[in-house]
Amino acid sequence: MKVLLVDDEQKFALMLSKRLELRGIPAKVFFSGEKALAEVEAGSRFDVAVLDVKMPGIGGVELKSRLSAVDPEMKFVFLTGHGSGTDYETGCLEAGDCLPKPLKIEQLIEALNRLVPDA
Amino acid sequence: MTGEVNSFLSAVWPRFQQTGDELHLSHYRTFQDYRQIWGMAIFVLISTALVPLVVITMIYYQLIQRSIDTESLLRTERVASNARRAVTFFLEERLAALTFTVNEMGYDRLTDPGRLQDVLQNLKLGFGGLTDLSVIADDGTQVAYAGPFNLEGKDYTDQPWFRDCLKNDACVSEIFSGYRDVPHVVVAVKSIRDDGRAFVVRATLETERLIQTLSSYKTGEHADIFLVNHQGLLQTPSSFFKGESNRMAIAVPPFAERTRAMMKTDASGQQIVVGYAYIATKIVPTSFILMVVKQKAGMMKVWLNLRREINWFLFLSALVLVVVITLTSSFMVNKIFQADSEKAKTMAMAEQNCQLASIGQLAAGVAHEINNPLALINETAGYVKDLFTLKKEYKDDPELLDNIDSIIEAVERCGTITRQLLGFARRFDVQNQTINLKDMVSDVINFHKKEAEYRDIAIHVDIPDGLPPIETDRGKLQQIILNLVNNAFQAIDNGSFLDIQARADADDRVRLSIRDNGCGISEENLKKIFEPFFTTKKEGQGTGLGLSITYGLVQKLHGNITVESQIGQGTTFVITLPITAKKETQA
Repeated sequence: MKVLLVDDEQKFALMLSKRLELRGIPAKVFFSGEKALAEVEAGSRFDVAVLDVKMPGIGGVELKSRLSAVDPEMKFVFLTGHGSGTDYETGCLEAGDCLPKPLKIEQLIEALNRLVPDA
Repeated sequence: MTGEVNSFLSAVWPRFQQTGDELHLSHYRTFQDYRQIWGMAIFVLISTALVPLVVITMIYYQLIQRSIDTESLLRTERVASNARRAVTFFLEERLAALTFTVNEMGYDRLTDPGRLQDVLQNLKLGFGGLTDLSVIADDGTQVAYAGPFNLEGKDYTDQPWFRDCLKNDACVSEIFSGYRDVPHVVVAVKSIRDDGRAFVVRATLETERLIQTLSSYKTGEHADIFLVNHQGLLQTPSSFFKGESNRMAIAVPPFAERTRAMMKTDASGQQIVVGYAYIATKIVPTSFILMVVKQKAGMMKVWLNLRREINWFLFLSALVLVVVITLTSSFMVNKIFQADSEKAKTMAMAEQNCQLASIGQLAAGVAHEINNPLALINETAGYVKDLFTLKKEYKDDPELLDNIDSIIEAVERCGTITRQLLGFARRFDVQNQTINLKDMVSDVINFHKKEAEYRDIAIHVDIPDGLPPIETDRGKLQQIILNLVNNAFQAIDNGSFLDIQARADADDRVRLSIRDNGCGISEENLKKIFEPFFTTKKEGQGTGLGLSITYGLVQKLHGNITVESQIGQGTTFVITLPITAKKETQA
């Protein structure tokens, strides 16, 4: 399975990608929505996108709709730093899987395996 | 019993009159001066109620006064006119009788001895009031006399009436005592003897009859009616003017053909109504002036009594009005005061609630800020754990060290944020201290930095380094700035800007303006913007307390807050604060 990981917290994103790699899931990391979108628009294909909800520029929820427009097959998992009660969370819950930060890696793996079962 | 006394006292002297109770209102400068409202209400109500009442009464009094004056003048004039007719008739009747006698009998028969006595008898029978009768030759010697006194041969040349009579064919003398020392009046007519010489027939009239006639016109004890001569000497007794001088104490009225009446003031300063008439018979004028004098006070007595009653009624009505108005005003103002007190209490509570809420908001913000480094710690620690569990070659691995450094760095980040949080929270209960406004603004902006970044909001802070530090309550100022920046963030769209500017102002004040280019506030809402519970947000999204609390806080710091806004252009809040702290003026 090919994973697209987008988060403006660079170290966090890199660390997460390393942990995924250790578990045999390669992830391509981007630090902003714009760059990720450009990559997908340029023709790269991913099975699932793991997106941080709150980012400068294009946020996670918006990025999801724009990525979907390019690649309707793509599945999505959101990461959020907000505990509760914000519009970001509402938006992201409507959008699909939403995992709180700090993250339990098992939850992410489980979500990825559920969204892309044949990998 | 004491409870009733207390409730009565509180009705008359309500709580807002007591200064101690204003303590918990002192935070809110918008509250009124209740004593002034109370005083104004009483003044306005009493004047609108009493002035027309008093004015109407005055006008009524004036009208009554005027009509009484007119009425008493008319009445006095009527009495004088009637009395004049009576006196004139009295004199004319006797003059006519005398003329008839003289013309009928002639000089010779009249001077027949004993004849005059018969004539006197007849006249006495016919008219009465005659004392004696005499015939006087043109040289003044009395040639015939009939009467109780033996006055034959008396010389009347010097008597003024005698001379008058020779001149005017007839005369009426003044009342005088004459040779007999008895007050009497002389009427005389002149005739011509056969030899062409003149002679005079004289009759003495008892004044008693005249006085009786006059007093029959006297009405009541406040009226006086009498005769005076042209010099003002009393001719008949007066009940008002007595004494040695025998003189009327008011000026002799000017001559008038007809009866007249007028208002005068007598020697003792009392108002009197004077009616008078110059008495003249058809044949000859007399030296009598008929005087009718009435004391105005006496005539007014009934009216004055009525007026006293009206005055009492007026006074009692005014008293009742004043009492009712005072009690009502006290009651109403007390209601307002109580309502305002309640509002102030609610505001104070809401302020506290909001303080707590903003601490909560701050804590949530900080928690979010901490979340990111925590997530990183989590991942890094997880990765290290992964290395231990999933890979065998962890020993002497430089990557491991790097990752441990990464953990330490993340923990430091958390520490910084926690310190900031603690520093911020500690400032809530601090009293006046010296503050660098620039530092404070950047402290507050820090909490919004992330959101500003996400929403692409440009924050310009323009505070000169030379701005004098201000002495104020740190926590409250921080909350003011935080509230206003929060507000601005809610009003502006992504990609807008926020301008924060501070300048030293005149009068040792600092002026801080926070300008955004957000949606703006309508003029109508601008008026209500500092009112508690006023909000344009949807129900449940805003309490409507933020700006009213901000207002209260600025007031507490002895500052001012103003707002200017235009729809679509943006909003500017301007706060001016004193550089040196003022002492709280609480007792």
